[in-house]
Amino acid sequence: MQISDLSLFIGGAWTTVWISGLAIAAGVLLGLVLAMLRIGRVPVVSQLVAIYVSVGRATPIVTLVLFLFVVLPSYGIRVDREFAAILALMLNTAAFNAEIWRSVYVAFPLSQIEAARAAGMTRPQYFRRIMLPQLWYAALPGLVNEVTFLVKASPAIAVIGIVDLTRVSARIAASTWQPMPPLLVASLIYMVLIYGLLRAQRAMERRAERFAS
Amino acid sequence: MAAHDSQPPVLEADNICKSFGDTEVLRDISLAVHAGETVSVIGSSGSGKSTFLRCINWLETPTRGAIRLHGELIGRRADGLPMSDKLMAPYRARMAMVFQSFNLWPHFTALQNVIEAPIQVLGVSKDEAISEGEALLEKVGLSDRASAYPYALSGGQKQRVAIARALAMHPSLMLFDEPTSALDPELVDEVLTVMRDLAREGMTMIVVTHEMRFARDVSNRVMFMDAGRVAELAPADRFFTQPQSDRAKQFLRFQE
Amino acid sequence: MTDLEIVIAQWPMFLSGLWMTTQLLVLGAIGAFFVGLLCLYLLNRRSPALERMTLLYIDALRMLPFLMFVYLLYYGLPSAGIQMTAVTASILALTFYHGAYFAEIMRGAWAQLPGGQTESARACGFHGFNLIRRIILPQLLARSGPMLGNQLIYILKDTSFLVIITVQELTWAASAVQSQYFIPFEPFVIAIVLYWLLTLLIELGINRMDAVAKEKGLGRS
Repeated sequence: MQISDLSLFIGGAWTTVWISGLAIAAGVLLGLVLAMLRIGRVPVVSQLVAIYVSVGRATPIVTLVLFLFVVLPSYGIRVDREFAAILALMLNTAAFNAEIWRSVYVAFPLSQIEAARAAGMTRPQYFRRIMLPQLWYAALPGLVNEVTFLVKASPAIAVIGIVDLTRVSARIAASTWQPMPPLLVASLIYMVLIYGLLRAQRAMERRAERFAS
Repeated sequence: MAAHDSQPPVLEADNICKSFGDTEVLRDISLAVHAGETVSVIGSSGSGKSTFLRCINWLETPTRGAIRLHGELIGRRADGLPMSDKLMAPYRARMAMVFQSFNLWPHFTALQNVIEAPIQVLGVSKDEAISEGEALLEKVGLSDRASAYPYALSGGQKQRVAIARALAMHPSLMLFDEPTSALDPELVDEVLTVMRDLAREGMTMIVVTHEMRFARDVSNRVMFMDAGRVAELAPADRFFTQPQSDRAKQFLRFQE
Repeated sequence: MTDLEIVIAQWPMFLSGLWMTTQLLVLGAIGAFFVGLLCLYLLNRRSPALERMTLLYIDALRMLPFLMFVYLLYYGLPSAGIQMTAVTASILALTFYHGAYFAEIMRGAWAQLPGGQTESARACGFHGFNLIRRIILPQLLARSGPMLGNQLIYILKDTSFLVIITVQELTWAASAVQSQYFIPFEPFVIAIVLYWLLTLLIELGINRMDAVAKEKGLGRS
């Protein structure tokens, strides 16, 4: 392995980061929307969401990303690899996030809502001012935990040819007589990234505990 | 003793009945509260006191019966269905409630708790709400804790913030649901003192409580409930010295 | 013949893929379970060095993507002179990767066990393997069963990564049918449904176990 390979690593790491980042942001939002659809008990839609969550959590990302990559063009939607990858990661993480939001919502203390209603606040008001900020704090540890899972599953996108950090290291490893160094470097980068996420998760757990009534 | 004037009572409850499924919890509760009065609602656990209080501001929906606020019928729409939170909002804004478990909003500081409803419900400007909120916190003795979060406050402090929060709405009626029951004994007095001052200043109050001394010293009238009914309704001093009903006599004996 | 009929005619391929996936899942799970037990044993040996190494292993592998670990074994072992098939490497990878997760789950459950039991057993002279087998394990399993079962679902999903090192499991089967007959939709839907059914089966098993544990009074309190 040479120093020139370093730029390859940085490129691969960057690919991993930006694709994961977009999928995470979109997935958190989509998860919230799905949870609200389920909570709102909209007929038919809520059941569909429940099925989506169940299937989504059971589907391997490798399978999903392959599926989207070959299926979407056949419906006339031209996709580049990155789009299919982001879409697959997003759909997967949204299913998990929907469960996280839902479990946080059903655990929300009724007493605070009563205080809001007794003071004359309407549902849109207290949902926005009282519930949402706290649901967010309470959901964060779970959401960050899910982010670590997403990062650990992100190498799945290599199966459709995206050169992410894992693929970079595998390529270099396959082309030299010393495969371990590049693999170890990539491993180290992942571990640093995930370690940071786990620290953040712990900090958020502590903060959530403090603000729980 | 507050004078009963010729104006309509602040609050009238007419024959309130409430059932949860097959269980009848309230049977024909009627009460009229006049301006400046403090009425204590007492009775053993399960007598329906809290349920009745919560029917007044329609946090619970009475199965039958009417609630009138300043003579105006509230809680039910023209078609008989209960009013939504949106329709009830202006009425609830004039009736403030203080809960047994304080129910402060944990992500807001004490001051933010106090100013939230005036801003959202009454449309008060933020600056005005803040200056009023600070004054109210001072009134309850917590001006130094304005920027503290609920987790850092003691039970008595939390309840006083809750009272300030209720006062910020300029209510014409205050409902207290066992305000000191969740407090350690040494913290009870600081809350009762605030409530005593409010009563003296002429606030109309309905207080569900176990604190007999408060009921005797501060209230004008006492409503004693037993098994969902009004067993006795009398001026406070008469109730405690000459209880009429057997259940009241029994109850008071156990309170010594 | 419609697309669906063509795909269904390929059922032997799906079956063989499903079989491979199931084998990987079962062997990987069994292996991971024993690795977890081994870690528990090592942690219990009252040797600070062993303890530190075991904890390092448990923490490190949980901070690594599964595919990276697969590559480490797949490329790394041959360079150390050990040759193996992709399938063998896969089972090893599943075993040692999820072994770390199993270890963490069991360690957490052990920490929550009422301490008196371990102490009284030790006082009687129980130690090492026997301690674990007779005293700790039944309770450990009852307590951590659901979480271990949940981890099974993760093992199942991780088997799909092995298509990248050319193991012919379920995702490979779907991909093969798709590329052979140019039918993109049906093969993958079938694969996804099969993964889903397996997951539901595992969840059913977890619920059953939970019910049995509760009956015996071993439930999570």
